[in-house]
Amino acid sequence: MANIAAKRIKREFKEVMKSEEVAGGDIKLELVNDCWTELQGEIAGPPDTPYEGGTFLLEIKVPETYPFNPPKIRFMTKIWHPNVSSATGAICLDILKDQWAAALTLRTVLLSIQALLSAAEPNDPQDAVVAKQYRENPQLFNMTARHWTNIYAGGPTSVWEFNQKVQRLLDMGIDEHQARVALSTYDWELERATEQLFC
Amino acid sequence: MGFEIKRFQGDVDEELICPICSGVLEDPLQAPTCEHAFCRACITEWISRQPTCPVDRQAVTACQLRPVPRILRNLLSRLCTSCDNAPHGCNAVLKLDSLASHLVECEFNPKRPMSCEAGCGLVIPKDELAEHNCVRELRALIATQQGKLTDFQQELAEQRLTINEHKRELALLKEFMRAMRVSNPTMRALADQMEREEVVRWANSLARARVTRWGGMISTPDDALQVMMIKRSLSESGCPPHIIDDLMENCHERRWPPGLCSLETRQNNRRLYEKYVCKRVPGKQAVLVLQCDNTHVDEHMMVEPGLVMIFAHGIE
Ligand SMILES: [Zn+2]
Ligand SMILES: [Zn+2]
Ligand SMILES: [Zn+2]
Ligand SMILES: [Zn+2]
Repeated sequence: MANIAAKRIKREFKEVMKSEEVAGGDIKLELVNDCWTELQGEIAGPPDTPYEGGTFLLEIKVPETYPFNPPKIRFMTKIWHPNVSSATGAICLDILKDQWAAALTLRTVLLSIQALLSAAEPNDPQDAVVAKQYRENPQLFNMTARHWTNIYAGGPTSVWEFNQKVQRLLDMGIDEHQARVALSTYDWELERATEQLFC
Repeated sequence: MGFEIKRFQGDVDEELICPICSGVLEDPLQAPTCEHAFCRACITEWISRQPTCPVDRQAVTACQLRPVPRILRNLLSRLCTSCDNAPHGCNAVLKLDSLASHLVECEFNPKRPMSCEAGCGLVIPKDELAEHNCVRELRALIATQQGKLTDFQQELAEQRLTINEHKRELALLKEFMRAMRVSNPTMRALADQMEREEVVRWANSLARARVTRWGGMISTPDDALQVMMIKRSLSESGCPPHIIDDLMENCHERRWPPGLCSLETRQNNRRLYEKYVCKRVPGKQAVLVLQCDNTHVDEHMMVEPGLVMIFAHGIE
């Protein structure tokens, strides 16, 4: 990897490790390989959001041309959020695209992603289905996001009704995650979700 | 791209760090309004991708970048750093502004050019000296030379082919011209005229020669050696080919005019020599006495198209 990219990442890694956010358990960073091209980030779901209490893993890939191009980051933990693809974990965040600036660091990027969980941008969605629910049925969106946080990110709030509905589809031989996606997509209407799964 | 921060003694002020490469600023430039500073190489690379300040994303173009203030430059130049060749054993600690001049002469530079003392004399980077093998290097050199030689030989063969083609065409052309001259009197007059003019042009291009000792004249030169050398020199000076063989014949007293053809007649006509207009045969102790330059000379002292006189010495 280019000298400048490795040098930057080494320094940024140290910066994150020394930061108060790491001390406070807000973010974490780990190396995946020893050539500094791949890291794994971890952010805590912010308080007063449906993601509170959850821990979200991020895949971080550093391009050869870093810091002239942004790092490639996606959620490895499944998450229900208008700006994150529920299928791939791809993130829609301006600073990871055209608003990238070479002076941004892994620390500032991780904090920006965390901030995105507190303040979604439904007008610039990555996942149209989630964004629609966010706008039209905020309460149901909150419950769904909380449920996903409980199942995939270790969040504390178990939603009994949703678990039951997933179980019903499981009993019909549907894959668990597939069932949860279908139910979340159709506002937890069991009939429409079933219809979609079996059509 | 900036200097590795670990090379510096003590803490380096955040202001002296490039936000792009995170090294100590090298040849820094700053953005016009926000005054954020970056290494020249780093900011140039960034601006080629997008015209903004990498810190605050204000619009900046390459031509708006300015040198940083003197105070920042002074702070930078006073930083103490280790040499680039520290990993190779250099212990020098230098002010940043004297690093460049040190690097030029640093004896720990692994790439410093050294000449091989073991025999081949090739100049090689110091770090390759240990692995260096004279025979192997010279063999490689021979191999490349051999390659070049083969290329040249091939080119030569091709050139020869072309030259032969040209020769054949030229022969045909000459034949054709000769036929034209024979069959058409106007053509003959024209061609003779052209040949005469060519001789005059050549004669005018040659420098005047002065003979200081007419006694040094060699009237019976040795054909093989002297005459061949004269011929080459004439040819190189642009002598028209239709007279060159005649001129070469006229190097010898057997072809000289009645007034010159024996020792006795020469002694009788010695005073007429000064009338000759002589031209240099470049680089040779010889002169050309061309008929076109010497129309004023008595007929018994001149032959067509001129005389060549070779001397032992005395030509200026
Ligand atoms: Zn730099
Ligand atoms: Zn700026
Ligand atoms: Zn040195
Ligand atoms: Zn040698």
